[in-house]
Amino acid sequence: MSAHRAQWKGHIKLGDISCGVGLYTAASAAERISFHLISKKTRNRLKREFVDSETEETVERADQVKGFELDNGDHIMIDPDEVTAVIPDSDKLLELEAFIPCADVDDIYFDKPYYLVPTDETSEPTFAALRDALSKCNATAIARTVLFRRMRTVLIRAHGRGLIATTLNFDYEVLPSEEAFDGVPKIKIDDEMLDLAKHIISTKRGTFDPAQFDDRYENALATLIKAKAEGRTLPRPKPVKVSKPGDLLQALQESAGLRSGSGKPKAANTNSKTRKRPASSDASGQRAKSTRKKAS
Amino acid sequence: MMASRRPYWSGYLKLSLVTCPVAMTSATSEAEKVRFHTLNKQTGNRVVSRYVDSVTGKPVKESDEAKGYERAEDDYVILTDKDLESVELETVRTIDIEKFVLRESIEWIYLETPFYLTPNDKIGDEAFAVIRDAMKAENVLGISRVVLGRRERAVVLEPRGKGIVVWTLRFGDEVRPEKDYFKDIDETPDADAKTEIERLIEKRTRRWSADMVSDPIQESLLKLIAKKKRALKSSKKPSRSHGEGKGSNVVDIMEALKRSVSKELKSRKSA
Repeated sequence: MSAHRAQWKGHIKLGDISCGVGLYTAASAAERISFHLISKKTRNRLKREFVDSETEETVERADQVKGFELDNGDHIMIDPDEVTAVIPDSDKLLELEAFIPCADVDDIYFDKPYYLVPTDETSEPTFAALRDALSKCNATAIARTVLFRRMRTVLIRAHGRGLIATTLNFDYEVLPSEEAFDGVPKIKIDDEMLDLAKHIISTKRGTFDPAQFDDRYENALATLIKAKAEGRTLPRPKPVKVSKPGDLLQALQESAGLRSGSGKPKAANTNSKTRKRPASSDASGQRAKSTRKKAS
Repeated sequence: MMASRRPYWSGYLKLSLVTCPVAMTSATSEAEKVRFHTLNKQTGNRVVSRYVDSVTGKPVKESDEAKGYERAEDDYVILTDKDLESVELETVRTIDIEKFVLRESIEWIYLETPFYLTPNDKIGDEAFAVIRDAMKAENVLGISRVVLGRRERAVVLEPRGKGIVVWTLRFGDEVRPEKDYFKDIDETPDADAKTEIERLIEKRTRRWSADMVSDPIQESLLKLIAKKKRALKSSKKPSRSHGEGKGSNVVDIMEALKRSVSKELKSRKSA
């Protein structure tokens, strides 16, 4: 079915209904420019070594074991077999335990996406039935299974002809947004300012296709490395001018093109100011593909 | 306990001519995961990693470590963190919102890492609130770019509560083409199964709850550690077992575990 190998194979189960599925990595992390660690003194590359903190002698892989650190710095040693023993045997079942309306899902928990594909032809009609039912009900399914030596929760949803399973982060790994935003002061926004900001937004409406995005960092870094290699002085970053509360209204007015300020109004940029609906001409169109697939 | 995290990034949020100082905090953290250290089985001491010079084999002090870009074989241009700040891209410091899109228009598969964006100085509180509330009122997401981890990332800004959630988006070549996987799937569903599944979906629809993402294996690990601790206590001669401590540490062990467990419970409650 595809050139890639399945990360996991098993069955989706719901009541008496089940079908064979394979789980395939849907996204991989791209490489970034890598630097090497080198010694300032010798300019040689560095390599990593694992040593005993007391004796400073190299510790072989076979002698490395896990330890749980106590507050006083001492450790309880844990045998690898003991850790393995707490991991339940995988039953290779994605049992759909509950369903959540798509709109109700808290995406902050999203970890990694996987494509779910039927493993054999006899599984296909059931697989298609689940896919179509999920999409008709606008629902996602929650399932749990042992994945990569951990009991993981996955969120399954219909996507095109297939299903996408997203692993979810554990409760203790996610900081709730209410907690993170707790310290942000409540401010009553002046209607005039709000209207101006809404107007600015309307001038910048468009579409965006992440697939067309280009990373400009590499080029900028290449320029920097060249300058440094040639011994030139590197430019210092320009200070950023912050809008003062007293100037906020004026900055909004200038941005909205209602008032010409001191600087040139590069605000509304190349987009035409009157456009309200998402359109795809000029600036937006360069990056947006004309045919967009339906959002999932 | 988690709220006091240090920002991952700080800089400016910009809409047209309006600019305000902001800080970005990671929405996820491994801090509360039960984590193990590596020990030397022979001595019971901790195993630490260190860097040695690949040619001389001698350990290298941290202050002598440098980032090097390999210009030619074994020929490096050294770059300090300060040098890297000189990269001429405004997106190193500023999230300038380029455009606004409909909420549903960004596919989930592109969402990579969530961050929380908050005002970082009183001076920008109002500007931040104006940008956030206008996005909320228009029901749109903001699109911008920012340099994180030595890459320029496309980001989506979503107003949420009193703050803004910033998602980095995966690059186009990071998302594998779905047609490679889905193209052979038969379109025809089993009609009976579909009816039955729809019935079950309705019956089993729940509200989202953080209980759905608990970690039973972490709980088992905590229990395992607790059991070992009890064994230590009853033997009263803990040094016998792999030399991890003296008898006087037993109380501390109890406390450490209690704290771990209560941390666990607290985080579950607050979630």
